[in-house]
Amino acid sequence: MGPVELLHMSVFSQSFSPCGRFLAAGNNYGEIAVFSLSSSLSPEATEINRKPILTFTAHEGPVFSLLSTDTHLLSAGNGEISAWSWTELAKRNTKAVWIRRPQYKLSLEIPEINAMVINARDNSLAVGGGDNNVHIMDLESGIFKSVLQGHTDYIHCLSIREREGELLSGGEDGAVRMWDVRTGQSVHCVEVYKYEQCARPQHGKWISCVTTDSDWMLCGGGPSLSLWHLRSLSPTSVFPLSGCQRQAMFYQDLILAVGEGHFASHCLLGGEVKSLIPCTPPSLNTLALNTNSTEHRVLTVGGSSDQIDVFTNLSYRAFSLSF
Amino acid sequence: MNEVIRKRLLIDGDGAGDDRRINVLLKSFTKWCNSGGSPEEGFTQYQRMLGTLAQCEFSMGKTVLVYNMNLREMENYEKIYADIEQSITSAHDKIAECKKEILRAKRIRKNRQEYDALAKVIQQHPDRHETMKQLKALDKELQQLSRIKENVEDKLELRKKQFHVLLSTIRELQQTLENDEKLESDESQDCTMENGQ
Repeated sequence: MGPVELLHMSVFSQSFSPCGRFLAAGNNYGEIAVFSLSSSLSPEATEINRKPILTFTAHEGPVFSLLSTDTHLLSAGNGEISAWSWTELAKRNTKAVWIRRPQYKLSLEIPEINAMVINARDNSLAVGGGDNNVHIMDLESGIFKSVLQGHTDYIHCLSIREREGELLSGGEDGAVRMWDVRTGQSVHCVEVYKYEQCARPQHGKWISCVTTDSDWMLCGGGPSLSLWHLRSLSPTSVFPLSGCQRQAMFYQDLILAVGEGHFASHCLLGGEVKSLIPCTPPSLNTLALNTNSTEHRVLTVGGSSDQIDVFTNLSYRAFSLSF
Repeated sequence: MNEVIRKRLLIDGDGAGDDRRINVLLKSFTKWCNSGGSPEEGFTQYQRMLGTLAQCEFSMGKTVLVYNMNLREMENYEKIYADIEQSITSAHDKIAECKKEILRAKRIRKNRQEYDALAKVIQQHPDRHETMKQLKALDKELQQLSRIKENVEDKLELRKKQFHVLLSTIRELQQTLENDEKLESDESQDCTMENGQ
């Protein structure tokens, strides 16, 4: 990988292994790199430990989404979903366990898959992407059970409401739709840009990040990042962040968000921005927290750079892994 | 090389310090035993040896004291070591407790903030008492108006009925009058017919 390619690399997705010792990251060249967290976090780590233990080309197009189940790593690129076994990856064996593709109606171009999420209740995988629909696949059998239609433009992000078993999807058309997975119907549709306090017409109406913790929902993108109460479907707080946020998550009593701008924002639920932590990439795409391991509990962010910043303490960047 | 070794042995042959004193004492004792010199010399040598012996005893006493002191120091250090280990473990425990406290406090803060956020939204909506009062007033108005409507309708019904009665009476009267007229004209026709015959 030459220096020019490294300069133009963007990291789009990340996922931690189920044991919590490895991090997989996907970039815009279709490659997935596996980093060993235990060696890079150890006290005697050197530059070599910050490089991946394994890099391989997984897809032809960019790897927009990575997801880990208990045993496998799922990656999605240009319209297809590949599964890799984590134990095999640790042994540097890069053969895919399976590759599947949802049934697309348009046969001319293959729509990209932007987001994947697992519904633990019925062991199914929901994928959303360029064909404006959410496809639901049963993980056991690999059959695509249903298609949720309703969005009028491509889907950016998906999230699961654990308690109610609902799926939330946010798309380019500015709508956040809540789906009941069993009936396949859209239960609610919230058009965020229509709410005056959230809308930012200068940025657009697209929703690029949706996340929920059953009672509350965070969504943002063109409109400002806002916190919504799901029972009443009303926006309770709007966060004054300047750029468009690409990923957000709830963590303890904070909200962590990354997007345009070279910092990770920590916000409080009331609407204040508590702090902006500077990071190396000039613009961030993905934020991941390692909840699978207690001793490697780190936060990693990646964006328009070949460096992935690792935070051991949320308040400052500890070091960077590089592709 | 041999010269150096010989010189070293000559200078340092007896060892250093106390060792040297003991060696010298032994040598002088054997010399004194074997010496055939005058009694004064022998006596001075004897005194000298006693002196050296005293020095050796003094040195030994010092060493014993130092040894005991070292033993006690060791004990002291062991105790301090054990104390510090204990305080380390208790500090660890306290840290774990504090971490749990922090998690609890964060949860509480999160709940409080959620509550505040919801309260903000609720504040924007009008007060429930106000709305209830407005509803009650509207209800009363509605009831009043419907009562008025009922009254008016009743009046209308009554007037309708009265007019109906009036009109039907008029018609009956008309009918009766017509009948009477007809009867009269019939009768008069009969009369004229009778008269004409």
